[in-house]
Amino acid sequence: MDLTQYNDILTIIFYGTSIGLILIGLYAALVKRSLIKIMIGLSIVDSGVNLLLLSIGYLAGGTAPIFSPAVIDKQNVIMVDPVPQALVLTAIVIGFAVTGVGLALIIRLYRHHKTVNIDEIKNLKW
Amino acid sequence: MVGTPVQFIAIPLLAAFLIPLLGKIWKELVRITPGVVLAYLLYLAVNLMSYTLEHGRIVEVIAGWAPPWGIDLVFSPFSGFLATLMIFMGFIVWAYSYRFKAIGDYEDYEPTIKYNLLLMMLITASVGVVLTGDIFNLFVFIEILGITSYGLTAFYRHRDGAEASFKYLFIGSLSSMFLLLAIMILYSQLGTLNMADIASKADQLKPVYKISILILFLVAMGIEAEMFPLNGWAPDAYSQAPAPVGAAFAGIVVKAGIYTIIRLIYTLFDVGGTYEYLITMGLITMIIAEFAAISQDRLKRMLAYSSIGQMGLVLTAFGIGKEAGVFAALFLMFNHAIIKSLLFLSGSYMVYNSKTKYLKELNGIGKQMPFTALLFSLAAFAIVGFPPFAGFWSKLAVLTAAADSGMILIVALILSVSLIEVVYYLRVVNRIYFLKPETSDREIQKPTTQAVLSMAVLGIIILVVGFYPDIITGVLHKAASTLLDKSSYIKDVLAIGQTIN
Repeated sequence: MDLTQYNDILTIIFYGTSIGLILIGLYAALVKRSLIKIMIGLSIVDSGVNLLLLSIGYLAGGTAPIFSPAVIDKQNVIMVDPVPQALVLTAIVIGFAVTGVGLALIIRLYRHHKTVNIDEIKNLKW
Repeated sequence: MVGTPVQFIAIPLLAAFLIPLLGKIWKELVRITPGVVLAYLLYLAVNLMSYTLEHGRIVEVIAGWAPPWGIDLVFSPFSGFLATLMIFMGFIVWAYSYRFKAIGDYEDYEPTIKYNLLLMMLITASVGVVLTGDIFNLFVFIEILGITSYGLTAFYRHRDGAEASFKYLFIGSLSSMFLLLAIMILYSQLGTLNMADIASKADQLKPVYKISILILFLVAMGIEAEMFPLNGWAPDAYSQAPAPVGAAFAGIVVKAGIYTIIRLIYTLFDVGGTYEYLITMGLITMIIAEFAAISQDRLKRMLAYSSIGQMGLVLTAFGIGKEAGVFAALFLMFNHAIIKSLLFLSGSYMVYNSKTKYLKELNGIGKQMPFTALLFSLAAFAIVGFPPFAGFWSKLAVLTAAADSGMILIVALILSVSLIEVVYYLRVVNRIYFLKPETSDREIQKPTTQAVLSMAVLGIIILVVGFYPDIITGVLHKAASTLLDKSSYIKDVLAIGQTIN
């Protein structure tokens, strides 16, 4: 298998998986009635977007984008794009914080309502 | 120059996390620190503003990485005006909540720490949103803004606060997903994250990518800017959050959302049809929100819907385009920040001891709280646009801009929607002064000195701008022309990169 073919298959796998993750997450977030499951769905969406972001910076056969002496000595070295990696790192932290806040809110809602079913929590009009 | 734009982000961010530590030394420092920091930032903002009005925009490079590679902050008359407005509103909100009882007593200062910390973060994030010149940095600030808003919405430990906050969080995280997707498509097509660089390369984008990026962006930011139909979170968040936070949402958070949409449409992409889109969405938002406001029986929900309606008007004004439309929109944003905040701040003292916050509980409160009721009525007259208050000039500017562009239908719609606004605001004023109270033993909460002062300052601004609109219009015209001058933005930012290398 030559490099371009390999690259094509990898691209399909990466994009397919991440879009699949986003769709699964959206399904969980929009259809499920349990607050916990909604939160899980939102975090799956996050992972899907992060994977998608990471895969646009990927190059087949690329190494880590670090200028070490071993890499500089070689000719024609392929490096993956470091910018999406930096972005994903930030996005993961943000997703973590949002999940944390969301779970804290769910705990507070549970203490008051003794349920996490969204249909039974409707003091405010949805 | 006395300082650089980076201080607007660095100082409040540092102060926010120092607040809990300073509280260990002396409890009162928890309350004093934000005020000192905001006063300094206001001084800095006014100074930089006068510099930038004379010498053009200030572009600051962070950490020595010149644009288009590194992050840059742009302090132009447009972004600087919004930053100054946000810091000023932050200062007012701080002063109002200095001794706000529901936020924390002297003995139990734990909630005060959290409140002040979140408020500082909120201001940091909003100012960051308007100053940054990097689109991913914008995303980060919007997320900080979102998380602090969720926290402040759920500030009161009752179940409805958490419910409103969870709703906001749910919509907010979907919006951040769209924003990240949009940034990702943009990066994969152009290979840059710097806004000036994107703006200069935007015409290389294929139409299909351009349209999908624009749609993703507008959906994501429409949520923050309360655009129809993405504003379901707003009435609940406004009504469940503490009163000063409602003012902060109206004065600070929404402005950041509107700013992002405008920066995107005016500077990044100049796609045909987006202006018409803005007008349509703005008008739909305005009409639906005003009709919803007139049917509300609770004060804060009514104010929240009115706020959404005003944002619709701002979007419409931006959609009219040209210098006149942008000027009118900026004037509206300024007035909305001042007046709607005063409505929230004074209104919340009038329904302070009421559990339900129904409008009918306001009957005859004008005799018991003459000063607060007077300020509320002043703000109500100003926001519907009665002369000689501040709101009149901004509404006049919108109508003139629309009429000059030959959009007579828009003029008619704005005028008829204003009539609805007049009805529901005057209904409240009527209740305050002319109806008999339902119960005679109503307990009223006396506003604290700080609250009275901050409300009085807002009231004075409404009157001064109403009688002498010229003191603000000069700055606004300058800001509007800066926003429309896209090529000089690109040139100024990218020139920094060339001089360093």
